[in-house]
Amino acid sequence: MPRHIHIVKVHHLTLSFPTRKDPNPKPILDDVDFGIRDGEILGLIGNSGCGKTMTSLAIAGLLPEAASITSGSIKFAGENLLEMKPKARRAMLGKDIGMIFQEPSTALDPLMTCGKQLEEVLTAHKDNQLTPEQRHKTITEMLETVGFTNAEEICGRYPHQLSGGQRQRVLIAGAALLKPRLLICDEPTSSLDTVTTVSILALLKDLCHKLHMTILFISHDLSAVRGFCDRVMVMKDGKIIDKDTASEILSHPKNTYTAELLTNARLDTRILGLEPANADYSKSPVLTAKDITAGYGRSLFERGSKKSGDNNILHDVSLEVFPNEILGLIGGSGSGKTTLIRSLLGLLPHSGTVNIKSTSVGAIFQDPVSCLNPAHTIRWHMEEALRASGKAKTINGTGSRSERKARTLARIIAVLEECGLGEKYLSRHPKELSGGQRQRVAIAMCLIQEPALIIADEPFSSLDASSSAELLKLMTDINRELGTAFLLITHNIHIVRQICPRVLVMDHGKICEEGITTEVLTAPKSECASALLEAERKIHGI
Amino acid sequence: MKSKTGYFIEKLIELILTLLVVSLLVFAAFSIIPGDAARVMLGPNASEAQVELLRAQLGLDKPLIVRYGSWLLGIITFNPGTSYAFNMSVAELIGQRLPVTVGMSVIAMLMVIIISYPLAVVSARKPGRLGDQICSVIGHVLFAIPPYAASLLLILLAGSLFSLVTVGNYVSPKDDFFGYVGCLLLPSFAIALPKIAMSFKFLRSSIIEQRASDYVRTSKSHGLSDLKILIRHVLPNSNVSSITIISIILSDILGGSLIVEQVFNLPGLGRLLLMAIERRDFPLLSGIVFYLAFITVILYFLSDIAASLADPRIRLK
Amino acid sequence: MQSVKNKTNRSPEASAFYTAGLILLGIVVVSFIVSLFWTPYEPDATNAASKLLAPCLEHPFGTDNLGRDVLSRVMSASKYTIFISAAGVAIALILGTVAGIPAGYFGGITDRGIMLLGNSIMCFPGILLALVAVAVFGPSVTNVIWALGLVFAPTFARVCRVGTMEIKELDYITHARVMGVKPVRIMTFHIFPNLVGQLLPATVIGLANMTLFESGMSYLGLGVQPPDASFGKMLSEAQAYVRVAPWLVIFPALMLIFYILGLYFISEGLRVNLSKGGK
Repeated sequence: MPRHIHIVKVHHLTLSFPTRKDPNPKPILDDVDFGIRDGEILGLIGNSGCGKTMTSLAIAGLLPEAASITSGSIKFAGENLLEMKPKARRAMLGKDIGMIFQEPSTALDPLMTCGKQLEEVLTAHKDNQLTPEQRHKTITEMLETVGFTNAEEICGRYPHQLSGGQRQRVLIAGAALLKPRLLICDEPTSSLDTVTTVSILALLKDLCHKLHMTILFISHDLSAVRGFCDRVMVMKDGKIIDKDTASEILSHPKNTYTAELLTNARLDTRILGLEPANADYSKSPVLTAKDITAGYGRSLFERGSKKSGDNNILHDVSLEVFPNEILGLIGGSGSGKTTLIRSLLGLLPHSGTVNIKSTSVGAIFQDPVSCLNPAHTIRWHMEEALRASGKAKTINGTGSRSERKARTLARIIAVLEECGLGEKYLSRHPKELSGGQRQRVAIAMCLIQEPALIIADEPFSSLDASSSAELLKLMTDINRELGTAFLLITHNIHIVRQICPRVLVMDHGKICEEGITTEVLTAPKSECASALLEAERKIHGI
Repeated sequence: MKSKTGYFIEKLIELILTLLVVSLLVFAAFSIIPGDAARVMLGPNASEAQVELLRAQLGLDKPLIVRYGSWLLGIITFNPGTSYAFNMSVAELIGQRLPVTVGMSVIAMLMVIIISYPLAVVSARKPGRLGDQICSVIGHVLFAIPPYAASLLLILLAGSLFSLVTVGNYVSPKDDFFGYVGCLLLPSFAIALPKIAMSFKFLRSSIIEQRASDYVRTSKSHGLSDLKILIRHVLPNSNVSSITIISIILSDILGGSLIVEQVFNLPGLGRLLLMAIERRDFPLLSGIVFYLAFITVILYFLSDIAASLADPRIRLK
Repeated sequence: MQSVKNKTNRSPEASAFYTAGLILLGIVVVSFIVSLFWTPYEPDATNAASKLLAPCLEHPFGTDNLGRDVLSRVMSASKYTIFISAAGVAIALILGTVAGIPAGYFGGITDRGIMLLGNSIMCFPGILLALVAVAVFGPSVTNVIWALGLVFAPTFARVCRVGTMEIKELDYITHARVMGVKPVRIMTFHIFPNLVGQLLPATVIGLANMTLFESGMSYLGLGVQPPDASFGKMLSEAQAYVRVAPWLVIFPALMLIFYILGLYFISEGLRVNLSKGGK
């Protein structure tokens, strides 16, 4: 076996957060032992709270004050980091070890221009005496390296004037400015959309070769390492439980936990036997939207001064949803999906017409945490939905008050059971339910109103694989048995492929492609659809 | 896209609207006095003819809107009429008393900043330590002491400990500037005490919050020293968020000075206000009330503008 | 699940605040309750034979310049402090909620109008507006309560407005709108119950601030009228004797500070719990 030169060697590291009450708590890192080989891209994967961020902070020397390393050592290029003085360790940051973090929106000082913040990296290291002109040149060169064509302009911009992807590039430029040997990337792409993610990953890989950097790449998403990392380690509860080459881990996971992570990342393999109803395109559509143009509010003072149209997010969007159909809607972030739904639901002022062939339209949203009112019980939610639909009377019929009440309750229980929730949930509060259960209650609230159409906005994005699968099954069952049409907004192309006969692709506030799902996915005609699919393929490997 | 001037104009319109509402409130308050103002002023023994005469003199027989118009015109041209009780121009009366109130407020504000700022910076460096906790507890106690009670306790303490401070001898700044400052020191301190606590608490939590923010972590990963991060990133950001609170503190100090000067027997606006209330001298009363509110509105406006200048997110939206 | 966990793991910081606050507040409230049935002497009974007595066994807090027992007066003064602050906050809370929730919910011109009025009220520094109201309508406990209620309403309106603006963006409100629930019902049954957590600390701190204002007005002679005792009035009467009879200042001031500090501590505890619970 050939001997590799390890740039970082973490040797039996144990770390915990002792308090006065509990001097020997359960360790956050338990006997962590690994090496990072020079020039490689090493992935460190695990769910939140597994200790992967602590590992990276321990290497960088940025651990919180309360943390204490109880045993082990960290060596960087042969030197024991834990024995170094704080000042010497700080001098290494930026120079030998660079870092980038998850949330680019808050990682830059809002009061300082990007150029000034990058300059601080240079001035912080005394051994790097440069004239202001030289510093400026170094910065613009690095900004060009990370893909900016307008480096001069970026220097003078404030962070809030840049997009998330641009900020992350500025941060990468800052971390790579002094050409450190090790770059630690802590979830650098998890708050970016798929297309941006792909470009950032490509940039990192490129830098790795150009500047001979080693990268420690931390992610919670095993599929994100596809085609990017050389080796992957899987972490669980402070321990490294699996270690292998990336291709091996992705194709033949040996560890059961790794396999589980992998299935979570790929929803499709779990869901079988989904039988959506056959859409009926001969009937008139349940929802017809024509030429919708909408944007967000302008302030009172600007309304008169500027031409309307400047702020519009949607431009002449038209779509139709037919009875029994599950229509998929995909698109990158910022493509106007959410604005479209809000317009369809009548929550946003818009021009154009929306025609819905039903008294009520149901909606379920992305966030299972906020989809139910925390102040009330499930029963209250159901009663409120029934009351708001105005259908309470037809269900109640006539009779004494208690009779009507009993009938209402029976109806509520029936709908809840249809959604896989029993009577016992009636008196519960939303906080006592899991995310998947809450989304079911949201669906039950729609169903009790007997809508012809339910609009679902990314209902799966915050759920784990099994809850998503169950929710998806529930949706197709409802579609098949009750004939309710769905407009499903998602970024998950696997789901679209499985249950949507027809799909729309949105980009920049327009529908750029529309057609039979299989045709769109295999041979996209428009540029934006193919870009989106290409990015998905790279990351999730369709 | 909002431009810099757009923001400024928006705030200016807001300022004018606020002043208009403030003037309406003040005018309304003095127009809905139960009973006839002239009758109230002359007392129950005056004859009907006397009352009528006074009504005509005061313009009370004119319609409400005309009276509001002429009152507003007078007040914005700094010529708000003549005081019944003193038979002097209201503007002149207020002008005489202003040095006390303004001087006290300025000194108190300086005290707040000079004392609370360094304490907050030091305290926030190691939150939870003994020194920090002592500061926080003292802060809470100070916060709960009404300024006039603090004045009495200070007189008690200062009087018995040093007998340095002479209470109740006001010195005009024209005669002796240092004497003027000296006689305002103790009352200013009494007003400042709870506000020191307030500003300490706010600054401390703001600094702690900023220190935990993501961009500080970025700066650390760039290899910046703690001191440099504090000076270049943490303090500027917490200063921006403190601008609003400082304008609120200033307005509170102005209000507090009205009471505290009573304790120290200083001839400020508060005393004038009480005399105006006692003698039901409405032109004087409405003048004082409006101009005090006017100062506050201007303060808030300036703090908005200062915040927009300091924060590019407001400036270059 | 989570909330149960939070309750058992209430942060030690919050517990310390609660304990200290309840002890301080308890002293005032107990003396108030006792004063309803019994005070050592009649609070208003003058006694020429025992003027300006220092604290002693018969008069634990001493006597004032008219020979009135300071302990009895302090006990009965707590009545007005508690009553005025409670009634004033109730008015402010109702006005603030009724104005603040629609402002936050509808936004736009409604919001601008309501907030313009609220901001204008807040532009009168300190007790100025309350003083004007009392000057116009005459000093009485009822007028003081209404004036303070009006002055404090914008504070509550702000809390409600900001809270509503946050809550109305949440999915459950969007869902309610999609379901066709009417705005008034959304505001009362969907939004208001979720604002209680934020209104509670604001209410407690409002009680404390209102007491500060009320005692200031009484100190200036424009609040509670003599012969009824109130802390502010007692302190203003004691001013002339501050050197000779410091107990006249110290005991009322202490009781006043206990009440305000107690409330501050409790609101701080609530705030700490709220921010911990939020995370």
